[in-house]
Amino acid sequence: MYDKEKGLFDAFVKQQMSRRELIRATGKLGLGAAATGILLNQAQTRAMAADFDWMKFKGSKLKLLLNKHPYADAMIANIDTFKTMTGMEVSYDIFAEDVYFDKVTAALSSGSTEYDAFMTGAYMTWTYGPAGWITDLNEYIKDPAKTHPTYNWDDMLPGLRASTAWNGVPGGELGSADAKQWCIPWGYELNNISYNQKMFDKVGVQVPKNIGEMVEVAAKLKADLGGPYGIGVRGSRSWASIHPGFLSGYANFGEKDFNVADGKLKAAMNTAGSKAFHADWVKMIQDSGAKDWSTHTWYQVGTDLGAGASAMIFDADILGYFMNGGDNKEKGNIGYAPFSANPAASAPTPNVWIWSLGMNNAGIQKDAAWYFMQWASSTEHGLFGAQKMDFVNPVRASVWKDEIFRKRIDTAYPGYLNQHDVSAPGAKIYFTAQPLFFDLTTQWSETLQKMVARELPVDEGLDKMAEDIDSKLKEAGLG
Amino acid sequence: MDHSSTFEKALRSALITLVLIFFLFPILWIFLMSLQTNETILRIPPSILFEPNLDNYRALITGKLQTTAGNLDIAFMRNLWNSVLLSTFSVALSLLLGVPAAYAFARFKFRLGEDIAFTLLSFRFAPPLLVLLPLSLYFKTLGLTNTYIGLIWVYQLICLPLILWIVRGYFEDISPDIEHAYRIAGNSWWKTFTRVAIPLARPGIAAAGLLAFIFAWNNFVFALILASADKQPVTVGALAFVTASGIQYGQIAAAIVLSVTPTLALALYAQRYLVEGLSMGAVKG
Amino acid sequence: MTANTANSSRHVKQSRFMRKALPYILSLPALLMCIGILIPFFTAVYYSMLRYRLNLPQMKGFIWFGNYVNFFYDPSFWNTVYISLLYAFLTVSLELMLGLAIALLLQKPTRFNNIASILLLLPLMTAPALASLMWKLMTNPNFGILSYFAGLLGFHDFRWASDPSTALFTVVLVDIWVYTPFIMILLLAGLRSLPQAPFEAAALDGVPRSFVFFRITLPMLMPYIITASLFRLLDSIQQFDIIYSMTQGGPGDKLLVFQVQAYLDFFQSTNVGRSAALMIILWAITYFLSNIFIKQWLKLRERAHGAG
Repeated sequence: MYDKEKGLFDAFVKQQMSRRELIRATGKLGLGAAATGILLNQAQTRAMAADFDWMKFKGSKLKLLLNKHPYADAMIANIDTFKTMTGMEVSYDIFAEDVYFDKVTAALSSGSTEYDAFMTGAYMTWTYGPAGWITDLNEYIKDPAKTHPTYNWDDMLPGLRASTAWNGVPGGELGSADAKQWCIPWGYELNNISYNQKMFDKVGVQVPKNIGEMVEVAAKLKADLGGPYGIGVRGSRSWASIHPGFLSGYANFGEKDFNVADGKLKAAMNTAGSKAFHADWVKMIQDSGAKDWSTHTWYQVGTDLGAGASAMIFDADILGYFMNGGDNKEKGNIGYAPFSANPAASAPTPNVWIWSLGMNNAGIQKDAAWYFMQWASSTEHGLFGAQKMDFVNPVRASVWKDEIFRKRIDTAYPGYLNQHDVSAPGAKIYFTAQPLFFDLTTQWSETLQKMVARELPVDEGLDKMAEDIDSKLKEAGLG
Repeated sequence: MDHSSTFEKALRSALITLVLIFFLFPILWIFLMSLQTNETILRIPPSILFEPNLDNYRALITGKLQTTAGNLDIAFMRNLWNSVLLSTFSVALSLLLGVPAAYAFARFKFRLGEDIAFTLLSFRFAPPLLVLLPLSLYFKTLGLTNTYIGLIWVYQLICLPLILWIVRGYFEDISPDIEHAYRIAGNSWWKTFTRVAIPLARPGIAAAGLLAFIFAWNNFVFALILASADKQPVTVGALAFVTASGIQYGQIAAAIVLSVTPTLALALYAQRYLVEGLSMGAVKG
Repeated sequence: MTANTANSSRHVKQSRFMRKALPYILSLPALLMCIGILIPFFTAVYYSMLRYRLNLPQMKGFIWFGNYVNFFYDPSFWNTVYISLLYAFLTVSLELMLGLAIALLLQKPTRFNNIASILLLLPLMTAPALASLMWKLMTNPNFGILSYFAGLLGFHDFRWASDPSTALFTVVLVDIWVYTPFIMILLLAGLRSLPQAPFEAAALDGVPRSFVFFRITLPMLMPYIITASLFRLLDSIQQFDIIYSMTQGGPGDKLLVFQVQAYLDFFQSTNVGRSAALMIILWAITYFLSNIFIKQWLKLRERAHGAG
């Protein structure tokens, strides 16, 4: 290894030099971009080894519970780095998403010590936290003896840090001062428009700017394309149909799920604003949504866009990202755009899904588990995943600034960076944190299904639902 | 003995054809999907014309899945092996315990006999979820979590009542006279049971064993809750192709085809015993 | 049972002992194997009397039959009872009729019929959890071959499981596809092991075929019919895989059967108390229905042996 280059990279890693300066300097030395990448990784390993005993738990055997997901794939592709650096053994159980959370609930509720750390969504920690199954990670993040000096927690996007922290009080504000950090953000999705550029050009429409335009454009697309339908959104009877596009648009009008007063929750889904938004949403699906909307999960929404059965989706940005590659028929035709449902809103307010890492509270080697968690959520691994794998969207501001990553995305996914950059400041969880989250959002989706099927008028349906939810809250001692 | 008219024969053939189409068309369609990529499966409208390729099978058998994000390891063959192991041993154990018990209930009237028989059936009443979650706690204490033995034990919930009650029916239908005659000729009870009773009930045992095998094979909730990834059957394993970046229909179809093969082979083998039904009828009372 | 004539006094003694003990020796191992599973069952009964949500630990408390009493006033509970019973009734009765018809068609043990009967087991061999994924694709309005066929027949807007008016039809259809072979194979094995004498006598006397079917075949087959429908009923009233993977209980609350509701209550809401109470009620319904079947079965058996 040439000392001169080594010096350059170490300077960069210590943040004494910007990436542009680094690239210019290495260019002078005659190093190509690929070599730069390799040397940079080695420098990162050296940097991470400084002033911190990574080998403290040498020989420990960690076991992880993982969901079958590109984020897990990216981690596995890089896991040797961690093993070499720490001398630990890491094994993992991977389950398909269809059954993944059942497996997590079964393992955690039985007090199993088998798994040290696992993948989770932020919403799930509203169950796991109060149930006592996961560890408050503040005690690790804030302890310099346990956390590497360059970990840089504040580099995580603030909306995500807050969205994964909750004080456990029903209705308690996410990210409040007394909040417990139930999990570490790992990768995330925000909800915007992904659309089929070719179909838009054919019909001659622009990407809609608000819900009214979305209803119109979707209808025109459906009518003029003669085959594909206008707009894909999730509709299956599940909480998962509420949190993506639907709640993002809902929140953009300043509408809330609950009002919290004196520690008591009250349903807020039957305000005039809420009713108007629901009416637009229902009409949009009836006029130009999928025929089989009521069974649409993540998979059907994505598949239809990728196979040219739908012209646009209002769902997770990375769902649109995935559909622009692989063996999808429409790969290369997908564009991305930010979306504010409310014409009066200044910026989008995408509700987010955050794949995170949680620590098993029953685990018997928590300190070692934290070593894994901080490595897996480090800038170094984030860069590896973002540059070389589909570890998208990154949760760290520094990774979003990385030029190799930005260039890769901008070339293959036009508009993606822009939709993210415009929406990221408003991206967070817009739900009220409370223990009945899954019951009540499932009920919400059921009500939407009945409205779309014209079994229930919107206004009356929402009044009835709010009333019913209030009684459920009372029964659970929350209302 | 056969009085069928030409019209009846034609009607019969037509009906059988309809039945075969209804039940086998989806199977055929799944088989065709297993030879395609997602790109041709997801065409609008669907079409039967495609260039067949064996990539899905290759991926499943070699355990290497090519994706745009690189090579991924999949453990499908391991899942298949687990299914074979779990189903075979569960059914074998159920037969070992269930056939003698079925015989006892069919041949003897004894105190509490019907109560025991009904209790054994009632294990089938409990929804799996009801027993599984408390069971996961007890398994931890007993050290049975994540063991094949523990799983085979729980699989008895599926197999044993089925085998017991179906085989019992067959024993009831066989006249005891033949066994009596054999006994009087000086043969031990055990010999009578194994040499006369079991062979006579063989069609029933074959049908019950085959069905129990199929039900064990199709189960997935037991292993999912009670075991780690390395002990999962093919039903859980095949769900791995439902990925965040899309459902890999071709691979799931190939997984179904591969997972059906061992059961189909067993059924074809058992078929000769199922057919015996008629020839044995002659010796029944 | 008639006692055997024994050829020696030693033999008599042994057989007397055997007659007493043998049935227990034969049946107890099976019982012992399963009895351990009763313990979790009683744990679940205890859970069903708790106000117990895993994510509201401070609320935990013993409330006797509170969960059950709540169901009584809960319209969604009665909806679940109604849907579950309707689903079980439709699937079991349709599969029974179809299964019996197919078994009669394939009764003659020709080579073709034997192979056909095995091939017809294929739907049963594809795990319902995976088969439903395939059915969901085949009924997809864009890529689905069945939707395409429906379109050719003039049903351009047929929405299968996604529409409230056809959702039940669709999942029942898939259930019929998967489980009719189960009934078919049991009845086929039963038909083929029926004694021939009565049929030969009837044929000689020129008795009409319908009379033979209703007066000889059907009564003799009845024990098999009861066993087959009993097992089908046990699984059908506890249906989960097909409904959950095709519609998750929707659209609306159209297909919220017991197991789907209990599953959501446990795994999503972690409402252990409610989930356990729901499943205990399902268990009680199953117990009640099976009891009727078994009583009938024993009566038929009694009559058959009395006659023989």
